[in-house]
Amino acid sequence: MRLYKRAPDARATIALAAVIGLAALAGCSSNTSSASKPTSSAAASSTGTASTGATAQTSQCGTKPGVKAAGTPIPLGGIVTNQPGTSFTDIANMANAYFTCVNDNGGINGHPIKYYIESEQTNPGQIAAEAKQLVQTDHVVGIVGNTSIIECSIDHSYWQKLGFYIVDSGIAPECWSTPNSAAVNMGPRYSSDGAVQYALSQHVSKIVFDQSNVPGTGYIAAGPAALAGAAHVAVTQLTENVPISDANSVAIKEVDDAGPNGAVVLNFTPPEALVILQAAQKLGLENRVKLWGCSTPCNTDFLAQALGPKWNHKLFVNAELTPAFTSSPSMSLYKAILAQYGKAVSGGIGSFSQFGFAEAEIVVHALETIKGAYTVASVNGAIKAVSNFDTGQLCQPWTYGSYPMHIPNNEDYTVTPDNGHMVLAQGCTQISSVDPQIAAYRKVAG
Amino acid sequence: MLDTASSTAAARQHSPLHRPGTRTLVRTGVIALLLLFALLALPQLLSLYYIDTMTQVAVYCVVALGLGVLVGRVGLVSLGQAAVLAIGAWVAARLLFATTQPYPLVLLEAGVITMAAGTLIGLPALRLRGLYLALITLMLAGAITVVLATTNFPNGGHGFLGYNGSSVHIPAIRRPGIAASDPAYFRYSVVVAALMFLLVFAHIRTRPGRAWAAIRQSEPAALAAGINTTLYKLWAFALASFVTGVAGGVLAGAVHYLYSIDFPTQDSITLLAVVLMGGAYSLWGAIVAALLLQLLPALLNNWGVSADWLTILFGLGVLQVLTTAPAGLADQVPRDLARLGRLLRRRVRRGRPRRPARSGGGTG
Amino acid sequence: MPSWQDFQPFIVSGLALGGVYALSGVGTVVLYQATGVLYLAFGAVGAMGALIAWSLIHAGTPEWVAWLVCVAFGGAVTLAYGMVFGPPLARRGPLVKAVATLGLTLVLFGAMDLLWTANGGESRAITLPTDNGGFMVGQVQVNWTQVIALCAGIALVVVTGVFLRYTKLGTAMRAMANDREITATLGVPVRRVEAAAWLGCGLIAGLAGLLLADLVALDATTLTFLVISSLAAALIARLRSIALTFVAAIAVGLIHDLLTPIQSLSNYRDMTPFVLAAAALLVLSRHRVISLSREDA
Repeated sequence: MRLYKRAPDARATIALAAVIGLAALAGCSSNTSSASKPTSSAAASSTGTASTGATAQTSQCGTKPGVKAAGTPIPLGGIVTNQPGTSFTDIANMANAYFTCVNDNGGINGHPIKYYIESEQTNPGQIAAEAKQLVQTDHVVGIVGNTSIIECSIDHSYWQKLGFYIVDSGIAPECWSTPNSAAVNMGPRYSSDGAVQYALSQHVSKIVFDQSNVPGTGYIAAGPAALAGAAHVAVTQLTENVPISDANSVAIKEVDDAGPNGAVVLNFTPPEALVILQAAQKLGLENRVKLWGCSTPCNTDFLAQALGPKWNHKLFVNAELTPAFTSSPSMSLYKAILAQYGKAVSGGIGSFSQFGFAEAEIVVHALETIKGAYTVASVNGAIKAVSNFDTGQLCQPWTYGSYPMHIPNNEDYTVTPDNGHMVLAQGCTQISSVDPQIAAYRKVAG
Repeated sequence: MLDTASSTAAARQHSPLHRPGTRTLVRTGVIALLLLFALLALPQLLSLYYIDTMTQVAVYCVVALGLGVLVGRVGLVSLGQAAVLAIGAWVAARLLFATTQPYPLVLLEAGVITMAAGTLIGLPALRLRGLYLALITLMLAGAITVVLATTNFPNGGHGFLGYNGSSVHIPAIRRPGIAASDPAYFRYSVVVAALMFLLVFAHIRTRPGRAWAAIRQSEPAALAAGINTTLYKLWAFALASFVTGVAGGVLAGAVHYLYSIDFPTQDSITLLAVVLMGGAYSLWGAIVAALLLQLLPALLNNWGVSADWLTILFGLGVLQVLTTAPAGLADQVPRDLARLGRLLRRRVRRGRPRRPARSGGGTG
Repeated sequence: MPSWQDFQPFIVSGLALGGVYALSGVGTVVLYQATGVLYLAFGAVGAMGALIAWSLIHAGTPEWVAWLVCVAFGGAVTLAYGMVFGPPLARRGPLVKAVATLGLTLVLFGAMDLLWTANGGESRAITLPTDNGGFMVGQVQVNWTQVIALCAGIALVVVTGVFLRYTKLGTAMRAMANDREITATLGVPVRRVEAAAWLGCGLIAGLAGLLLADLVALDATTLTFLVISSLAAALIARLRSIALTFVAAIAVGLIHDLLTPIQSLSNYRDMTPFVLAAAALLVLSRHRVISLSREDA
């Protein structure tokens, strides 16, 4: 006999309903967000014409069109940052799309590629653990697609010890200064170099270089400082804590320091750069300096659209990658693979997916040269042997090589916003050897 | 403060002069077994990924323990423990780079210096109560986070701050000679964590623990009884800061590289959430809290579930704990299991053949 | 030491920042006065509303509809929270109630990152039509949105001050915030008054979220944890005086921005709200009070 009736726990029910509701919303919104993604009109038309021959075009990614690979899989791994405010999963997802395309078209000598993606929240312990997970549990034979604020710093000795030669799109200094990492991008320092170089080419009298306060600010600022010093132009180095809560004071500070004949060069992620530039516009300061510059993260059509026409040809963004609106077989393949296999790439056409494409391309090219077993030694030996490979996404052919440091991407474009799109302002220009690290690399690489 | 269940539990506290009964012996035996299991068996059973994760669990066990002492035992809510952990890690990293002192000494120094900082912060803050105390700890943590963002963590450079911003090759923070490999360092961190638990346990069983229980029941009554409430509250702050500082030192060796972006202010909030969920009063609650904070994300990562679901879970957990299960999982789960046990026993008894009716009636 | 000319533009931006802090701080204190709960989810609710508005605008909805949805969302979520979690926590002290709102903050924060990912370098922004008009003060332009934010803060102070003190409903709210049980025995319809309080403050949170998304950034992390910085102003006013919160917020914003041109302190200026709040709390609680009320925990 029950002495009392227990009332149903209303709160638990509501909480459960809320969670289910959120899950449903997450499912719906991920579809709508990708559907409402604005793409440049050039890209839209090219995917339109490509859709008819899409399968035929994407089949170029593999060696045996239409033949699904069914052998023992070749395991590869990648570590990307995914936390509130910073998400690089697009890069790994695009690489995965490329690998899926290859698997659908013959694989690597009939072997499909199995790609393990680990996401991290900038927690050093977690990153080290994930590297070991990939090696010990998933038994990967190659690492590709790493894009992380700190992964290169944390794992470089581990990769070196095990003999992995990783292909990444790096951020931390060790991605360019260690023998076991070669990046498809230029990274904050060399991309800032490119932006500063463009500003210097416009004969400004002062450079104000402002960057986000993430690890390695001194290392990053050293490049622009060297360039400005060689040109006998004064340079001020500033850092801001991100996320920025008061962009007005940042914008005023930068403009005041640069003066009417100076340039403000920013090195921030797109949302932070946007906030600063919009603050400058709302304060009426955008014309108070000679020009504004930004490193490569600003190179997105999102930013161009959000900024609006007041910034046409006023902001000059260093572009590490060939603009996606260029016509070339590689670009067509990239867009075709993105359209057919890239459902998980929420950013669509842009530098992140271009990075993923290029990195996957390089690794597949290396894997296809291997005759025999796919082991850590053979795969990484093949990756290291990649030389003068044309990715179709960069200014120059890409080489890994047996060097103590790697900066294989050291030539860049400059783009500028024009009514909602980024357009070319300057073609391929080498990053100056005034930056000591660039000089050191050019010396070893020849 | 946060729960009435714990205050009755406090009343159940035994005097240390009481002879250990069978229950205590069994409990000690279980703890010893678990410790042996963790030290000897776990490193063999787990992959390196999970060993690294469990090292983090060991570190955050101690941090949760410190916060548990403050919140559960004394009734002081601190929203700044992540900043205290950062201070401990900073001091340990600086000493490890600048000197060649043995590791235990560095850990001790990190603990002591963090204790001094925590006590200094706690001293004026003790004038505040309840909500204001929590908010001032939040403010101070915010200030420390900003300072750390500008001064950064030591990375082998020179000067007081030991930070070299232009470094192209950041050196790794060293580990003790006997515990250089990951499994060995896991064992080392478990031993350190066990020592910290022992330290806190010793406090709880002796005079400070009784004073804290009295303060939590009613501070005016404790004052009237002649307890120096200021001293004991400061002592709680000092103890919590000491253990958190030592945990920071262990963290520094575990991760090899420290960044200010790893200690944002919102970590203090998540820490409070898991401590409440695990149970602020019970020492087991600290272990549950650390498992929630470090093991669960690692598991979810392997299953491909986004870490955001965990944030949502913690938020729901806080709401649930505060409204229905004030003593947290560590208290609630055994009680729920006991209730389930009773329910099952009743069902089993109902199924057996009936005995002749006794006075009072055999009801299920 | 920079000159007066260098400081001038920062006075303008400092006032703008003060307006931002005031909007958030005053809203929090109003809710505290009306319900007894320190609503730490104020920023998260506003941020989520602003993100929903952004999604709607992006999908083609007329802007004013999206703004209304943002404000309504703030009201709805806050009302739901207050109705579900208000009564069971009513007897607990202000600390427990505040920690519970932290739970809500975490839920919303996790949900925001799930639904609006940071993928592909997305930069989201809310622009209001008042952004581009304005007037010059010295060398910088003050846009109408900043003026609106400042006026909204002042209006909030005046209107809610009058409402809470002189109207029947406002008095009932204050009574309930003080002691729910006794107010109920006085015949005040507590559920209805409570609902009105939560709904009203939720609408304020939604409106503040929209304005802050425009003035600061449309970023979940920034907006959610902005409430910690704006708490400083509320703490300086000891959570008691709405007008003092407003003044304190303006002061915090001004000091924060005026530190910008001073080279040695510039990087530490983000500490301003925290240091001022801590100092104010310590100075203002010089005299130790042993409280016997239950409310203390």
